[in-house]
Amino acid sequence: MNHSRFKRALWASWLGFISLIVVWQIIAALGIRDPLVFPGPLAVIEAAIKNVPLTRLLEHIGISLLRVIMGFSLGAAVGITVGIVSGWYQKLGNVLRTPIEILRPIPPLAWIPLAIIWLGLGESSKVLIIFLGSFFPIFTNTYKGMVAIDPNIIRAAQTLGIQRNRLLFKVIFPATLPDIATGFRVGWSYSFGLVVAAELIAASRGLGYMIMHARELNMISVIMYGVIVIGTINLLTDYLIQEVILKRKLKWHYIETAF
Amino acid sequence: MDTITTLEEEKKGFQLSDRWIQIITTVAIIGIWELLSRSGLIQPVHLPSPTRVASTFFYIMREGYPQDITIFIHIKATVRRIIQGYLLAVVTAIPLGLIIGSHFILERAANPVVTFARSIATISLLPLAIAWFGIGELSSVLLIMYGAFWAILTNTIQGVKQVDVTLLNVAWMFGAKQRHIFFRVVLPATLPRIFAGMKIGLGVSFMVIIAAEMVGTVEGLGALIQQSRLYYRTDITIVGMIFIGIFGLIISIGLDRLERVLLPWAVGLEEVKR
Repeated sequence: MNHSRFKRALWASWLGFISLIVVWQIIAALGIRDPLVFPGPLAVIEAAIKNVPLTRLLEHIGISLLRVIMGFSLGAAVGITVGIVSGWYQKLGNVLRTPIEILRPIPPLAWIPLAIIWLGLGESSKVLIIFLGSFFPIFTNTYKGMVAIDPNIIRAAQTLGIQRNRLLFKVIFPATLPDIATGFRVGWSYSFGLVVAAELIAASRGLGYMIMHARELNMISVIMYGVIVIGTINLLTDYLIQEVILKRKLKWHYIETAF
Repeated sequence: MDTITTLEEEKKGFQLSDRWIQIITTVAIIGIWELLSRSGLIQPVHLPSPTRVASTFFYIMREGYPQDITIFIHIKATVRRIIQGYLLAVVTAIPLGLIIGSHFILERAANPVVTFARSIATISLLPLAIAWFGIGELSSVLLIMYGAFWAILTNTIQGVKQVDVTLLNVAWMFGAKQRHIFFRVVLPATLPRIFAGMKIGLGVSFMVIIAAEMVGTVEGLGALIQQSRLYYRTDITIVGMIFIGIFGLIISIGLDRLERVLLPWAVGLEEVKR
């Protein structure tokens, strides 16, 4: 890509974003709909400053993120462990995978009612939902990575005299890391949608609660503000995972496969 | 992989086939579950026994829950909403994606908007949809459309962008007209990617509808599991989840089959993630 073309592309990106906001503001200013029902960007910012103090917003964000992080780390720990065990011990893996494959087609969201029956309306039911949401993609990808390792790599390692445990931890596990990372990304974006859903249905704090509560009070600009905040956090965290984990820690993999 | 297998095979004498292991495991889990609920170690409110779930299964096919709303009515409501929202997304996202994908500047301009719109968890739009369109049909259909739309759009755009330039050059060299190049080269080359987007979109629709139905509808699978939860009919919740699982399985297997029939040249296309 030559320089001027690149510059134009950069301009176009900004233009697209800015024009979206401008169009939104113009439509709102035309007053086809009541500004309370369809507020423009300026009204949203104004309402946000007035109704949602920054400390309150940060508290909601913190609660939601904490839930996601707890559920996600549990899901990742169990998912990776079970994935590796299933890939390493074939027969045991078959046993373990049977219930997992049976439960996998049920979307994690559909577990919400059962999670509430089991664990009540508190933190643990939300953590369970997010656990399920991250466990399945992370497990599946880890297992897939374990089974799909290039046999030549294993043969080469064996030729060099590496055996059993060292083969698993020094050769096979690192080789599955890119797949685990894929599972992480899928699982994370899943978890984030899930925490919002769980909070919409039953919570007294968190971002999902914030927008559901705003709906009860009919403050549409606060709902819009919340939606934008949720989208931004999702975008930022996804970017972080991609940049930090995928590009930095797994640099070797991405250089190899870059085209 | 075969190395891992051989390591295992050395250890054990006799072999059970994979299929049998799966069957035995399933039976064992159900058996233990039954025993635990019979012995009273697990409260039926928390986890009703398999036999109880089985009888409830037939009960909600005949009598329905809430009264007279059979499982078929729930399924029909869910399917209808998915189809409406999904079709709306398909007919809007594919043409738009084809247009955006074929113009470099347009693609750049759309990129940040598309990225951001995709990051917004569709479910977080539920309160907004309810505030604008009320609880019910229109809200659920539009939410499904939103969720599926961006998945299909991004994949269509990517598909057009990734069309092999050689193909275009060859077509051009042979004097194909613009229209021909589009319909005979670009479109077929893009279809596998569009289909991948449609698959993801359908998965998203399915998740969105379950969540949307849990808030304030009476008919639909999501409503079924949420309503029964409120009255502690855990058996019905579990039956509802089983139906949702079967439904999800049909969607994913059905689409894979369909893809193989419709797009045989797509075999070997790298799996599209997310």
